[in-house]
Amino acid sequence: MRRTALLGWLFFRIGSMNELQYRANFLLQLLQSAVAVGTALVVLALVYSHTEELNGWSESELLVVMGIQILLGGVIRMTIQPNMQRLMEEVRDGKLDFALTKPEDSQVLVSIRDVRIWQAVDIFSGAAVLAYGVSGLERGVTVSDVLLFFALLGVGAVLIYCFWLIVATLSFWVVDTWSILELLDGVYQTGRWPVSIYPLWLRLGVTFIVPIAFAITVPAEALTSRLEWSTVALAVGFSAALFVATRYWWRFGLRRYSGASA
Amino acid sequence: MNAEAGRVRSLLDYYVTRGRTQIQAQFQYRAATYFWLIGMLAEPIVYLVVWTTIAEQQGGSVQGITTGEFAAYYIVWTLVRNMNIVFTPYGWEWRIREGQLSAALLRPLHPLHDDLAGFAGWKVVTILLWLPIAAVLWVAFDPVLDPTLLEVAVFSLAICGAYLIRTMFLSSLGMITFWTTRVGAIFELAIALELLLSGRLVPLPLMPDWAQEVANFLPFKWSFYFPIDALVGDLSRGELLGGLAMQLLWIVVLTGLTMVVWRFAVRRYSAVGN
Amino acid sequence: MATVRVLGLTKTFAVPEREAGLRAAAVSLFRRTTREVRAVDRISFEIGPGEVVGFLGPNGAGKTTTLKMLSGLLYPSSGEATVLGHVPSRRERDFLRQITFVMGNRNQLQWDLPALDSFELNRAIYRIPREDFTRLRDELIELLEIGDLVRKPVRQLSLGERMKVEIVGSLLHRPRVLFLDEPTIGLDVTMQKRIRSFVAEYNRRYDATVLLTSHYMADVEALCRRVIVIHHGEILFDGELARLGDRFAAWKTIAVDLDDGAGDFSAYGDVVERDAGRVKLRVPREETARVTARLLAEQEVQDLTVEDPPIEDVIEMVFAQEANER
Repeated sequence: MRRTALLGWLFFRIGSMNELQYRANFLLQLLQSAVAVGTALVVLALVYSHTEELNGWSESELLVVMGIQILLGGVIRMTIQPNMQRLMEEVRDGKLDFALTKPEDSQVLVSIRDVRIWQAVDIFSGAAVLAYGVSGLERGVTVSDVLLFFALLGVGAVLIYCFWLIVATLSFWVVDTWSILELLDGVYQTGRWPVSIYPLWLRLGVTFIVPIAFAITVPAEALTSRLEWSTVALAVGFSAALFVATRYWWRFGLRRYSGASA
Repeated sequence: MNAEAGRVRSLLDYYVTRGRTQIQAQFQYRAATYFWLIGMLAEPIVYLVVWTTIAEQQGGSVQGITTGEFAAYYIVWTLVRNMNIVFTPYGWEWRIREGQLSAALLRPLHPLHDDLAGFAGWKVVTILLWLPIAAVLWVAFDPVLDPTLLEVAVFSLAICGAYLIRTMFLSSLGMITFWTTRVGAIFELAIALELLLSGRLVPLPLMPDWAQEVANFLPFKWSFYFPIDALVGDLSRGELLGGLAMQLLWIVVLTGLTMVVWRFAVRRYSAVGN
Repeated sequence: MATVRVLGLTKTFAVPEREAGLRAAAVSLFRRTTREVRAVDRISFEIGPGEVVGFLGPNGAGKTTTLKMLSGLLYPSSGEATVLGHVPSRRERDFLRQITFVMGNRNQLQWDLPALDSFELNRAIYRIPREDFTRLRDELIELLEIGDLVRKPVRQLSLGERMKVEIVGSLLHRPRVLFLDEPTIGLDVTMQKRIRSFVAEYNRRYDATVLLTSHYMADVEALCRRVIVIHHGEILFDGELARLGDRFAAWKTIAVDLDDGAGDFSAYGDVVERDAGRVKLRVPREETARVTARLLAEQEVQDLTVEDPPIEDVIEMVFAQEANER
């Protein structure tokens, strides 16, 4: 475990040094982030100019949801997405062997070796929106709310990571999973609004198939005093089960990959 | 006179050939195109659900637009959005870097023809693949849509006009790449403006009045909102034809701009090379 | 009338200069220093219709830049150039329809479709009448023996096969001037020979003028009667290939691998290199066969190769010779 953390730090440093060279990237990222957040806030304002609350969620509460979505999006684009994309590319080009022959756990390696540090901008802008939303909440937040929030955020991140890895591992069987990434990017947009507003079929889809609801709405519920213990249990349980399942799936896929290229 | 007729005919021949080539190539990527199309659905579906929720909370409509009309708006949105996808400034960046531009400059044909014809071919495939998706959306969201024949005709013309407007707009923007590689920043700002003032995120009538005024002076409304409104809304004949005229105006203006910028761009490229 | 006329053609580039290090990088954000590079320096020559001319020179000599200026891709900094009576940089449609530029390693055909479809596209671009197109296309396909390749998607072809279909695609409009920039780069020996003989045949049949750049001596030897040697943007030699070979490539290198590399080899020729088991000798061109025979007879030879002098050395000799003769 400690080794993993050490490796993670190492890759982070190297990735950062690489990216720091490209100042233009940083400015562009800043701009893109500003544009995305700006337009989202405008739309939110527009929506709330026509109504007081959306399915029981006030404007501040919605800002909380949005902040979490942007923040988590930053985490995904900074660590999860680049690694999974690289994994799929390397499977296609046969370069995965380089990673597999290293004396480290292969799943750990392929999951932490790429860091796009400039995407961290989204983490900060998301946090800012989140803080702004929290400051406007009618019912204040308690310390236990905040702790629960961070815990559930972590659970959500794990869920999304597992999901991404499962999809990326599919590339061991189906070579062109690239277009699925486009799909996932689009679906993540649904996380900007509380899941309860969606029709049932969509709600189920973004809860269990693409676990966006668990990743975003549930932590938001923690901060907005909507959380029920059954939801927490479900989230934690689902996450643990998925984590284990993902591990098995990874090893299964790996056996297939090695067998195929032998 | 004969020479001119010959030129037009060969240009047409090129468009047909190039378009057909693209259709053939694109058809091989049916599955990928489907995934991409479905991914694109998230945005309109989300907004559809949000506005419908508000409408239902308020007794059936927001500012006069009913849930059925919202559904119709956002379903037609998916088609218009596809017609709006053209060659981006990032594409120009890639094109110059990879030497594709040199190859294009050696041919006795303006590269814009290649883009127009190629993307048109792609659109044909996209529309064909989109039809079943539209059917599913229709069933799922129960839109209210009852267009007249004139509205359908105007819509068909308007989506072509939208395609041309957006192509010309992004081409002139894209050619800035000849002078700087930082075109991404300008592009992002333009996109931000477009998102808000084109009817893509929010139907224009729901925007504050001053925003709607501004939108009238920008091409975005005419490449996005107008085609949808032509089919879904209740425009008079005068408004329909007037809208087409506005599209034509923007096409002429932006095409002129593109051609002027191109002349300078080629000069710049030929001085510096690749 | 000359097909290509070049007078005092010059091209200079402003190249940004930057030192390594973080501080220099920061400074470069605000102040950019540039250095002027003369890629092509006042060159002049004339090429007549139907000639096949090879431009020889090491990397960065200015060969590609010259070709780019003659095809209209680059504006000359000064000087004149006329090709087929047109000024290339004006990029007139009539001009573009009569030339073609083949760059080794660059793809101009549609990736996902069979080459035949891309040919069809070229037909439309260059407005080739249907019968002429079909006839020439079939002739070229037969000449290069790619009948079964043109139906496969281009992405499935190997590098050499791709080069062949690219070449056919670029000739369908029967250009009068061919610019070939390193056409055989990266190809195996058989493919190189095939392309060379094809170009020779095309030139013979259609009387096209060919300007060819290469840093492979073999390309030029096979195709060109006339060569123009360019180095540092200047023309060092413009004349018959035979003269160049006689005058400057006066020797060859023989590399022998032996069991025992000791001993005196100076009787055979100049010893240029000596390693445990490997000896490199420089011998006059005419002596090559004789020395080789002697070596094989008198020594325990494991392996023996005969090499042409590298082009850079030839250029150096040309340069030295020209400097002496001035």
